Amino acid sequence: MNTSPIEVREDPDVHEGPALLAGLASGPSLAAHRTQFGDLPRLALDDLVEAVDDVGLRGRGGAAFPFAIKLRTAAEGSRRPVVVVNLSEGEPASSKDSALARTRPHLVLDGAVATARALRARQVHVVLPGDRPLTTAAMETAMDERRDRRVRLVRHVASPRFVAGQARAVLELMAGRPNLPVTAWTPEAVAGHRARPTLLSNAETWAHVGHLLHTGPPTGLGTDDEPGTTLLTLRLPGARVAVREVEYGTPLRSVLPQEDAAVLVGGFHGTWTTPETARRLTVSVAGMREAGCALGAGLVLAVDDCPVVWTQRIVAYLAGQSARRCGPCLNGLPALASALAALDDGGGTARVEQLSAMVVGRGACAHPDGTVRLVRSLLAAYPHEVDRHGAGYCSWTKPRAVRRLRSVAS
Amino acid sequence: MNRRLRVDWPACKARGLCHELLPEVLELDEWGYPVVHGEVTDELLGLAREAVRMCPRLALRLVET
Amino acid sequence: MNGLLHGPTLWYLNRSTGLVVLALLTLTAVLGVLSTARGGRLLPRFVGQVLHRNLALWSIVLLVLHVTTAVVDTYVDIRWWQVVVPWIGSTYLPLWLGFGTVAFDLLVLVIVTSLVRARMRHRSWRLVHLLSYAAWGVAVAHGLGIGTDLRQPGWERSAVYASVALVAGLALVRLVGATARHALEEAR
Repeated sequence: MNTSPIEVREDPDVHEGPALLAGLASGPSLAAHRTQFGDLPRLALDDLVEAVDDVGLRGRGGAAFPFAIKLRTAAEGSRRPVVVVNLSEGEPASSKDSALARTRPHLVLDGAVATARALRARQVHVVLPGDRPLTTAAMETAMDERRDRRVRLVRHVASPRFVAGQARAVLELMAGRPNLPVTAWTPEAVAGHRARPTLLSNAETWAHVGHLLHTGPPTGLGTDDEPGTTLLTLRLPGARVAVREVEYGTPLRSVLPQEDAAVLVGGFHGTWTTPETARRLTVSVAGMREAGCALGAGLVLAVDDCPVVWTQRIVAYLAGQSARRCGPCLNGLPALASALAALDDGGGTARVEQLSAMVVGRGACAHPDGTVRLVRSLLAAYPHEVDRHGAGYCSWTKPRAVRRLRSVAS
Repeated sequence: MNRRLRVDWPACKARGLCHELLPEVLELDEWGYPVVHGEVTDELLGLAREAVRMCPRLALRLVET
Repeated sequence: MNGLLHGPTLWYLNRSTGLVVLALLTLTAVLGVLSTARGGRLLPRFVGQVLHRNLALWSIVLLVLHVTTAVVDTYVDIRWWQVVVPWIGSTYLPLWLGFGTVAFDLLVLVIVTSLVRARMRHRSWRLVHLLSYAAWGVAVAHGLGIGTDLRQPGWERSAVYASVALVAGLALVRLVGATARHALEEAR
């Protein structure tokens, strides 16, 4: 297995926030949680659907799928649903789920358990990260503290791979098969684990549900169109990895002190932005979509070295992380990585563009699609840098022979 | 009624029978895997069903949307 | 009618269908082993596949004729149930006849599962389909042991030996190729 160009960090600086990350000083224990938030309220399904619909709660996948729709779909099935908390955090540069596990595990679990009760589900499956032992331990401690009646918490440990957190890969893990993606002919909310409606969401989404249940809609936070907050993992040069809870509508530059850095938004499947674009962006699902970006896993990576080199390394990593089950991915991504490396030899972008078009939408999961999103964003945001690389130069370092890769300081 | 051919990617092993039967809709990429172009018209429906039936890995499905 | 049942006609029919079925099964097996080989202009893959299917179905047709003539012929004591139940209670060269029965059973299983292939899990279908090698091998043994024609050296027996070499050789090539590819994948 190849190594990520960005190391996993389970111990980010978690900053106090206005909602999810409020009152961190009291610690993650169940007792402290109950003192701060009270007992788990019982909510009827219709009320829950209305509540999450009103705040427009969205998932943390690239598509930012509305949670209310998933919830309704899972409720409509004839079989008893299953709830899944996806805390596998396969994105190495992201630390927000680890932060939640270590500071607010019971918000996550409250959200999941309450939803399970509303759906009359009997099981909440928690998928833990195989490569983050502190996170796993924290979550297991939290689960051991609980005594939820009529709902059983089932644990799974995801494999330490990038694609392990993909929805179908998680379902495979739950079924006792290898933790890798398979083709989905129906959405898992319709038929997933053991053909039951499966409500699978990211840990942060469940934390928002939990918070909503306890404190009601986030009045005064966010914007009218996008109320509430979201978690970001900030990786800035020279700074420790940080997790911040940020209101929707916050300008991105307020969390980016350095104004001339290239910024990768979303994750390894995210998009590069120029410093100018980053200055204009707000933390907003709709706003970012208009600008051709996506919040994705909430990573904000600012680099003070070359985004072309970063992309070459990330794509090489992503190619090695292919599950190797689908021909276009298993062949196309390594070829894409080679084509990106060949940019330095004056190869031009034709081959990169050809391969990008060839792998999109041709796999059991969106791994090739996300990789291509990253590559295309590089070509769109930094075409001049790409050309310079072709001519043997790089704006960030001396000529090619002494181009050195600096890892992000953390 | 929109009919499309969908590939079960983990099952596909680039045998290429689908392309032999239905080159109008299925081309092969440089590694031999099918690239689906557009939808299946009424006149190609018979051949599409044949391609689905003939795939040695049962990796092709006709989906109606 | 009496002449038909007592004379040598059924016997000749049985022997000839036996030889032809063996030849057809060999061809079917060869096409099956070669199914993963690259298709050319001469034999596109779907042509090979259709041929494989059709030859298999014709084999069964002739096989039914083969076993019917064996049972109906009064010259040898072969009963109806011995078509599907091997060795038990049979009196005519029971060992070799039993091999024929086993081959028949396996072939029926292979063909039936292939007819409902779309309704099965692909892995299950594949495992059953591998039994066709066993069916073919047992059929060859049946022919060599029971057959009047194959008991002495002659062109028929040489042809059978050549078939065995062909199928075994091709299967070995495919197996080695697949193992090597698998090892290469794991190493990557």
